Amino acid sequence: MRTLLTLLVILLPSVGLTDYREEFRKEFLTKPWAGVQAPKNVCVECHASEMMKPEIRVIPSQWEMSWHYQNGVSCHNCHGGDPQDEANSMSPERGFVGTPKYAKVPEFCGKCHVGILKNFLESGHGKTLKASGKGPNCVTCHGVHNIQKASINIISEQLCTKCHSYDRVKIMKQALFVTENKINDVDKSLKMLKSEGVYTEDEDKDLFSTQAEFRTLFHTENVSLVRERTDGFIKKLNQIEVKMQKTFEELRFRRNFSAFLMLIFIGMGVGLVILMKSPKE
Amino acid sequence: MWVRIRNWLEIRIGLEELIRAQLTEYRVPRNINITYTFGFVALFAFLIQVITGFFLLMYYVPYSEMAFRSIQDIMTTVPYGWLFRQIHVVGSNLMVVMILLHTLSVFFMGGYKKPRELTWVLGTLMLLVTVTFCVSGYLLPWSQLSYWATTIATMIPTAFPIVGDLISELMKGSEQVSGITLNRFFAIHVMLLPLIIAVLLGLHLFLVRRIGISSPPFGKSGEAERPWTEYRHDSHGEGYPFFPDFVLKEMIMVMFACAVMFFLISFLPTLLLPEEANIPADPFKTPAHIKPEWYLLAPYQMLKIIPNKFLGISLQLIIIAVFILWPFLERKEENNILKRPRLLGFSILSLILWVVFTVWGKYS
Repeated sequence: MRTLLTLLVILLPSVGLTDYREEFRKEFLTKPWAGVQAPKNVCVECHASEMMKPEIRVIPSQWEMSWHYQNGVSCHNCHGGDPQDEANSMSPERGFVGTPKYAKVPEFCGKCHVGILKNFLESGHGKTLKASGKGPNCVTCHGVHNIQKASINIISEQLCTKCHSYDRVKIMKQALFVTENKINDVDKSLKMLKSEGVYTEDEDKDLFSTQAEFRTLFHTENVSLVRERTDGFIKKLNQIEVKMQKTFEELRFRRNFSAFLMLIFIGMGVGLVILMKSPKE
Repeated sequence: MWVRIRNWLEIRIGLEELIRAQLTEYRVPRNINITYTFGFVALFAFLIQVITGFFLLMYYVPYSEMAFRSIQDIMTTVPYGWLFRQIHVVGSNLMVVMILLHTLSVFFMGGYKKPRELTWVLGTLMLLVTVTFCVSGYLLPWSQLSYWATTIATMIPTAFPIVGDLISELMKGSEQVSGITLNRFFAIHVMLLPLIIAVLLGLHLFLVRRIGISSPPFGKSGEAERPWTEYRHDSHGEGYPFFPDFVLKEMIMVMFACAVMFFLISFLPTLLLPEEANIPADPFKTPAHIKPEWYLLAPYQMLKIIPNKFLGISLQLIIIAVFILWPFLERKEENNILKRPRLLGFSILSLILWVVFTVWGKYS
């Protein structure tokens, strides 16, 4: 007992002497304690270092807030090169392409976003860019590095009126509105199901493909095409909703069933109390 | 039919005498209170774990590539799989709560004192085994929550010089938490720990029956106090029959515990299965807030505030050792804690500290 008290007396002041959170993080949550670490990324290490200009130094932190980062898309996936090998990280032999020229940005992004590239190049935006080399490219609307999940909120008066009037854009946004809203509703419901531990991979895949197709479509800037195909998208999203509805019904059944079991046990408990209180023969 | 079976058994095992000796003539103290039922509820919770665990085993795949998916299948496609899993999850917490309450009850009633020191030691060991059950079972769903909680749990032994790294690697089977760790924890969870707890439980119950249930230090026990200079069975001659009187009380508590369990399953299904529990394990994405289960928050917070991790973990081991060996360290004969103000104050202070550390750990 005395030893224990002495130890406590020694330890208590130490609480005030240190920034324990920092210490704990250092000791327990970083290498080698924290298990598998993200592989070495010399692009981030170098670009975040003091030797870079401030406008370049912010790039890694911008990327870390992006939708690409959340989905595991790293520097080399777009810019090529080797993030593991410092000496050859920017070697063309390792596929390094660096920063694309302004007019070549759509092809740069289109390496992955194939469908969108096709529709964009056929659109007014794409044709202007091709003809003059000065029209809008992907980063004009989506930004660079800190690229967020696409939504129709990107289409705004503030952004579009930098180049042209908002009238036609407004009509396009209205045409997109119904489908976009439905996508958001389905997405929200899927998240709710996941939080209850329900397996939703099939519905996730259906939503992803519908969403991707829809995003591809509105890069055409063709309002009548969007209107024409809206019913098709809504139908697909409704099908996902019908599937989810069944799962929601199942969740309601689960809640009611376990509440029923709860009532049974309460009833049995009350019965036993009455039995205990009743006079013995 | 029933009479024939009864007679058949009577001839072979002396059923009536057995029932008389073990149930109706087996007596509990007159002044026994409701806290004495906690042990039985803990035992019941353990049986629930065995039954639900058995059914979960039929569908769970202990392989890192498939573990998470198999849990999702249990929750989604296996008929009533969700119910078995939820009962297993909530039941494990119920078991910890009941063992903690049982331990506290025995402590405050002085039930650990001579001649019941061994019963206490076995009980505290069972509490530790139960926590080990929970820690090993936590990894099995192979979710973000399980992966990162286990990462922390398996690095704790590294605080010890020389053998620390070896122990940690033995637990993990690799440099980091991996599929090998999952297999080890699975084997420990479904094979080793059930065997250990069965042995401890058997010995614990044997001692309770052999010595007799301890009398609460409050009220009249109906039995004259005699010093324990030699072995005797505490028969509580003037007490209540174990069956049906005390068993009825125990069953009421079991019903109450089950009602609480189903309340949590019905109305708070995500309380013990938060968002990270539904995301597959990803060694490359550390969740923002990694917190252990509620019963480990106090030691976790203690580790955080003590700057030297070796000192922190050593201190915790000392506390555990003191807790297990308490009957041998505290040898005063007075078992009414109300007549021991220093011990009472120390116990309440310890409890308050535990609650404070738990809340601190939760919100820090």
